[in-house]
Amino acid sequence: MSIIRTENLTKKFGDFVANDHINISVEENEIKCIVGENGAGKTTLMNMLYGLLRPTGGKIFIREKEVKINSPLDAISLGLGMVHQHFKLVPSLTVYENIFLGTEIEKKTAKGIRLPFLDEKKEIEEVQKLIDRYKFELNPLDKIEDISVGERQRVEILKMLYRNVDILILDEPTAVLTPQEADDLIASLKELRKQGKTIIEITHKLREVMELSDSVTVMKLGKVIGNVKTSETNEQELAQMMVGRDVVLSVANKHKTGGSQKEIYCVNNLCTINEYGKEVLHNISFSLKTGEILGIAGVEGNGQTELVNVLTGVMESTSGTVIANGNDITNKWPDELRKNGIAIIPEDRFAQGLCRGMDLAQNCIAGYHRRPDVCSKGLLKREVMEEKRDRMIRDFDIRVADPNGLIDQLSGGNAQKVIVAREFESKPQILIACQPTRGVDVGSIEFIHTQLLKFRDAGNAVLLISSELSEIMSLSDRVLVMYKGAIIGEIDPQHTTPEEVGLLMAGIEIKPVSAEQKVKQD
Amino acid sequence: METMNRKQKWASFGRSLLSSLVPVIAAFIIGGIIISLLGENPFTTYWILISKSLFTVKGFAYTLHKAAPLILTGLAIAVTFKANIFNMGVEGQLLIGGFFAGIAGASLTGTSPVVTKVICMAVGMGCGVLFALIPAVLKAYFRVNEMVVTLMLNYAMIKILEFLATGVFRDNGSGYVTTPTIQAGAMFRRLGGSKLTPFFFISLIVFLIMYFVMNRSVLGYEIRAIGLNPVFAEAASMKVRNKIIEIMVISGALSGLAGAGQMMSDQFKYTLTFSGTPGLGWDGMLVSLLGKHDPVGILIAAIFYSALKTGSDKINFYTNVPKEIIAVIQSLIILFLAVQFFDEKTNLFDSLKKKITGRDETTVKEEL
Amino acid sequence: MDLLQSILYDMVYHSTPIILCVIGGVFAYKANVLNIALEGMMLCGAFIVMLVDFLTGNLALAVGASILSVLLLGLIFSFFGITCKGNVIVVGLGINMLVSAIAGFVLKVMNSSNILINSLKVSDFKINIPVIENIPILGSLLSGHPLITYLSFLGIFLMWVLMYKTKFGIYVRVVGENEDAARSLGLKVSFYRYMAILIGAFCCALAGINLSLERLGLFTNDMTAGRGFVAIAAIYCGHGDPLVSAVYAIIFGLARSLSINLSIFAGPAAGLFDVIPYVLMTIVLTVVSIYRYKNIKIRGFRINE
Repeated sequence: MSIIRTENLTKKFGDFVANDHINISVEENEIKCIVGENGAGKTTLMNMLYGLLRPTGGKIFIREKEVKINSPLDAISLGLGMVHQHFKLVPSLTVYENIFLGTEIEKKTAKGIRLPFLDEKKEIEEVQKLIDRYKFELNPLDKIEDISVGERQRVEILKMLYRNVDILILDEPTAVLTPQEADDLIASLKELRKQGKTIIEITHKLREVMELSDSVTVMKLGKVIGNVKTSETNEQELAQMMVGRDVVLSVANKHKTGGSQKEIYCVNNLCTINEYGKEVLHNISFSLKTGEILGIAGVEGNGQTELVNVLTGVMESTSGTVIANGNDITNKWPDELRKNGIAIIPEDRFAQGLCRGMDLAQNCIAGYHRRPDVCSKGLLKREVMEEKRDRMIRDFDIRVADPNGLIDQLSGGNAQKVIVAREFESKPQILIACQPTRGVDVGSIEFIHTQLLKFRDAGNAVLLISSELSEIMSLSDRVLVMYKGAIIGEIDPQHTTPEEVGLLMAGIEIKPVSAEQKVKQD
Repeated sequence: METMNRKQKWASFGRSLLSSLVPVIAAFIIGGIIISLLGENPFTTYWILISKSLFTVKGFAYTLHKAAPLILTGLAIAVTFKANIFNMGVEGQLLIGGFFAGIAGASLTGTSPVVTKVICMAVGMGCGVLFALIPAVLKAYFRVNEMVVTLMLNYAMIKILEFLATGVFRDNGSGYVTTPTIQAGAMFRRLGGSKLTPFFFISLIVFLIMYFVMNRSVLGYEIRAIGLNPVFAEAASMKVRNKIIEIMVISGALSGLAGAGQMMSDQFKYTLTFSGTPGLGWDGMLVSLLGKHDPVGILIAAIFYSALKTGSDKINFYTNVPKEIIAVIQSLIILFLAVQFFDEKTNLFDSLKKKITGRDETTVKEEL
Repeated sequence: MDLLQSILYDMVYHSTPIILCVIGGVFAYKANVLNIALEGMMLCGAFIVMLVDFLTGNLALAVGASILSVLLLGLIFSFFGITCKGNVIVVGLGINMLVSAIAGFVLKVMNSSNILINSLKVSDFKINIPVIENIPILGSLLSGHPLITYLSFLGIFLMWVLMYKTKFGIYVRVVGENEDAARSLGLKVSFYRYMAILIGAFCCALAGINLSLERLGLFTNDMTAGRGFVAIAAIYCGHGDPLVSAVYAIIFGLARSLSINLSIFAGPAAGLFDVIPYVLMTIVLTVVSIYRYKNIKIRGFRINE
């Protein structure tokens, strides 16, 4: 009997379908991994199981009984617990206080009358018992703000175990851990399975999937692609399922070979840390030449966001240099970068690229609003702004109901076109494009890709960061693959198969096959 | 398409207007209830209030005179609030500006009246700027929450100025705490027998300047960007850190100018009641809130609010209603203004309705 | 010697209202609701107790009415600031102004600038502890204070226990530190915020009663003179910990005492002691900020974190 099963579970946000008729089934006492890229819908699915979101359609069965889960408390009472990526812990409270949150034990007098004071001794005892039983290594008296990330995660897990959950859902648990801590976690999870618990883990780290799980479900774009037993599959197959594409690009790309290519942008040993002090970029080095598109591929969460943040001036590096056109632009702010001929298409268009609440014309000059053509004596020239806007609408085929209205009205694709138009307007030499066609309709994708190729053919350089493999493979002249904050390999997109790239993206280095061996295989 | 946009614009304007009017009307209704409990007629009371302050020449001139510093402090608040910076220190910046403008005005002899006034106003603005720089730098470079710091520094400044006024800068001839009266050359002359002075026109000019700054200039654009989306602002080449200091400096200058004007056109010396109750800075906060942080709205709100104040002096002549009722109405307006009843984003009535009917969707995070 | 005794006595005298506002206000701080209406609440307590005693002569009724009125004020604050999601700073300002305006209005209607109750002797309230009052320095520190003063010092420990040793205290802190965690555990966030404000209101009422009734037997408008804001400074300096913030409150009370007692010697300069609370708070906030953000490499502002 399956311990938890979903039947055609669906979740829509307006018109957007995040989960499309999901059918999964988890056996009791197994460890199941759910894999897929960002946006596949894994977290949405788990949030529905945990009562944080209500399904738009479909059913959930626990031990073959249909249930309605309306809140986390419902889920817990049904034996389902979840450990989120962003911990829900209170920093100034101790381990035991966090575990007992909502279920505190109060002191009783000899006659059994309840006093409003907490029975700290008892609580500490209970927590220690739990720690010993599951073989976690924690000190109940430590404050959350003083312990490491790995330890905090274990507190979250204990929180759930204390509430006697049988099914534990973990959302990308190793994303924030060091390799050593990740190994410790895997060992703990195996111990939990030994003690009869069922575990569902969302992850995109295929090596862990193979090491830990009994079965795997692959999701892509809100649908389930496959359900397999771990013993019957391997990393290659999983990678193939995760990254294989149906959409074929219709843009023809005439790759230039040779020609006058000079180095225009050079990154050397770039490193930086996150807010926990953990290094998230390790010695990134590469160079960009004129007339080329350099793609950076990789599963999201392997340092691409941090790399882009550093290269676009919104995050500081701890060491390393960046040189553009011979000028040292390491750690310069965005205004300096633009002055050095760098244009930026940011990862999150409405957070970094555009300003909701402002109209089109105002967004069309953002980033370049102090240039003399737009601004004289401190005043903005409204006519110039409007002329630019109208020209951009024409040249980039931006569909907008009211040109004088706010930018909020635009669809994702058209908003992205505004950003692309704006950045090209300043005639840059280097373009850093991050996820340029994410959430964009097919027609606009084609348009943007054409623009990128035109830009490159004019002798400029493009740094393309994307988790859409087909986009990278068809547009780039060279591709670097990032894994765990470092560059794991470089490939030639015209002579590498998607599967080989998928493996690199999963952290598995391709062994170079010698010529004789290839002949033998064929 | 065009008409739909215009309808939307009018709808949003109407909503803004309503969200400013409703608190005022509600406050007046409550005030009216209190007045009738006293046995007086609220309508006649309110009529006296409005007519004496707006419909007589002398009254209107006095209203405009009192409105001048309010326009400036309202602008001082608006320029920061639009960028989501909460400069609560306008009162303190105004006081230090007025104080030192007064000292300058009392000490400058032998300079022409025009030069004297210019110097005094410059001193006032400069002091406001210097005082505003403290929280500005702390916020820009150390990310210190400016709301609480500016609030507290007001009280520190009041104490310091009290010390200075009873010590170094004391007016020895007088029995209460005050600085020497400023020289005649520093005083703005009264126009045509009313209390109106050229300072009102100076504040109008400043209003026009700020109108252009906030609506047409690059800085206004940047202020709005920072207020709407600071992440975007940073990515769009605005060094937010520097902008914060720029914006606070402007705010400090406006407050300091307001203080200087108050000194040179109304008070002529620094006393412990220089800024009135609750204080021109706090009045400015109310004016800016009423005017939705927009220069034109502030102008209208300043005149309206000033009318309340000047009218309040008169109602005690003609009725038995104490003028303190106006202070009650003023505080009720602020209280009601705190809540955005008609904001598009937080549709308050809908959410209150939901709470009453019991349905409460716990959508904690809509992550994908 | 006399000066020292006077300073110590005045220190206790002046710290009391601040301590009361502090131990009440820390809950709102921990619940992440900024309550700047402590000043108005204290003024309300001071006003109502004197008004009702003046009108009825019944002391118990006066105290009860005072506490109820401030609790009502707390409800208004919570309604506008929490339920209606209004800007809590503006709501707080509004309440401060409202209390002052109503008090001024009523005084005008009564045709006087103070409320003075002739039958009330302030010395009646002072509790002189038999043996202790005669000890040289300790005597003036410990004896001769009215009831609420002693209650306030006791209150420091009571509030500390409430905050750290009971379920309620933990929940208030959770609501303030990680609202998400609170919701995911089913805690009613609004309820704990309301309660935090009401505790503050209750303590401010006591502070007001101490200020007007017990110490002076007199009410003048705006007699709180910024004490509520000194309390806010103390709360921030102590990070909302009842004990630490109360210590700061006592320090600030000492500063006030020095400013009064040393005025004979230092003249108006003694008034500068009153600036200490605000300057100290600014320094503390700056140091905390530097420490908190030292590891953040991401630039740019999320302006009001």
